[in-house]
Amino acid sequence: MNETAALISADSATFTLTEMAAAIRDRKVSSVEVTAALLKRIEAWQPRINAFVRIEADSAMELARASDAAQARGDIKGPLHGVPLAHKDMYYTAGKPAGCGSKVREGWIAPTTSTAIARLEAAGSFRIGALHMAEFAFSPTGHNPYLGHARNPWDTERITGGSSSGSGAAVAARLVPAALGSDTGGSIRLPAHFCGVTGFKPTYGRVSRANALPLSFSLDTVGPLARSVDDCALVSQIIAGSDPLDPTTSGAPAWDAEATARSPRGMKIGVPTRFYVDDLEPSVAAALDAALDAFGKLGARVVKVDLPDQAALAAAALIVLAVEATTAHAPWLRERAQDYGEQVRARLENGLAYSAVEYLEALRWRGPALAAHLDAIGDIDVIVAPASRAAAPTIAETDVGGGPTAEATILAITRFMRPLNYLGVPTLVVPAGQSSEGLPVGLQLIGRPFGDERLIAAGRAFQDMTDHHRRAPRLP
Amino acid sequence: MPDIDPERIRVLAEAARVPLRTESPERIARAVTPTVTRFAAENLALALEAEPSTFVVVQRREIVP
Repeated sequence: MNETAALISADSATFTLTEMAAAIRDRKVSSVEVTAALLKRIEAWQPRINAFVRIEADSAMELARASDAAQARGDIKGPLHGVPLAHKDMYYTAGKPAGCGSKVREGWIAPTTSTAIARLEAAGSFRIGALHMAEFAFSPTGHNPYLGHARNPWDTERITGGSSSGSGAAVAARLVPAALGSDTGGSIRLPAHFCGVTGFKPTYGRVSRANALPLSFSLDTVGPLARSVDDCALVSQIIAGSDPLDPTTSGAPAWDAEATARSPRGMKIGVPTRFYVDDLEPSVAAALDAALDAFGKLGARVVKVDLPDQAALAAAALIVLAVEATTAHAPWLRERAQDYGEQVRARLENGLAYSAVEYLEALRWRGPALAAHLDAIGDIDVIVAPASRAAAPTIAETDVGGGPTAEATILAITRFMRPLNYLGVPTLVVPAGQSSEGLPVGLQLIGRPFGDERLIAAGRAFQDMTDHHRRAPRLP
Repeated sequence: MPDIDPERIRVLAEAARVPLRTESPERIARAVTPTVTRFAAENLALALEAEPSTFVVVQRREIVP
């Protein structure tokens, strides 16, 4: 390898997903070189941030060699040919372990492959390992007493956010260019906000959840965390669409890549008058103001919007989530309750408290609540709101286990999340600023049902004129 | 609406055949009371015809052909 090629190879680990895929396709770098460079970064960062639960170096290098050999024969699998990825350890791959962050599933080998993974691999990607997650995807902080906590690459005393803790940390530290997360109550968006990456929760029903760990079948969504909106769009284009294994995707429209490139000129951008703008830390408020200013400069019309009571939606979401999660885990709660961590066990036990009438009222209200939301927003295309009222808190101050302050702490962290899961609307988190301590601050761009592509277009234009998403944490 | 009675938790857990530790009903009652009371305060009067899948009907009105 000559000197220039060696430099490209070393830098290739920090390429975005779109850059990496293009560089491999154009033979500027090989899959073997990219994989080796990523493994080197993983070796350096893993002891600090615990982002991976398994690193599959040998098999990844073997798959990289096979990708390069296929390319040499002119056999390109798809738009991610030769790209190594890793995902939250709840996406099943037949014959591989999927521990789901839990002692209960320790050693479990998945019998099937999740649709999202199958589609990413059909597009040419392969796995370099599996990523850390909160136990059974049921913690917004990312704490995991069984696996040890994942740590935020910007400050290892801070939480990553959860439950897609490893996905947020690994993408932020440039250990993988993109990773799947899942979002039932903020589990893509919170790690994106706290770790300073871009995260996309698609419309409920747009991406198949088949053969991934369920938490709440009415709320679960599958989506990417990546370095940019472009990268999220590339992953979404591959994984979105109808799947006979997941009936909620039946009738979902095909992904419209052209619509993701439209200009936001003429778009109507809403900013909530309450709830999402209450009691914000100054850095979050400043990021919101700057983003609205940016959208104005992009030719969008910014208007205020008075949304229906979001606290009521959050309560309904919590009832649905709690009951469905508890029901799914009931067999293990009966036999193996001691194998759960305290926080997750306590939260699962909370789901026993709701009556059947409360649960079904919460589900039956969902349609009327979405109709009321759509009435309130009128012809607004995208709502801009904070992802959280502050940047990442410390691991210590949020380490509440199953104690008396646990539920209140969790509710505070997920305050701006749950209403949007209940409404099933697509939501994109983009880095938009930093706190006084240099920690990332993200904003949510909230779309209309099945308006995923319009949302991507707005986020893409925002990132074209800002550089928050290019900031990266460094090893000390 | 009054706070949730721990006895309600004991009964529901028993019906679900999930054993609880002795102190758990009180903890659970404290944890869920804000959610239950907030939801009850909506005092919903849903149309008789509203069902969970009504959500999908509303959602799909947004699909542009």
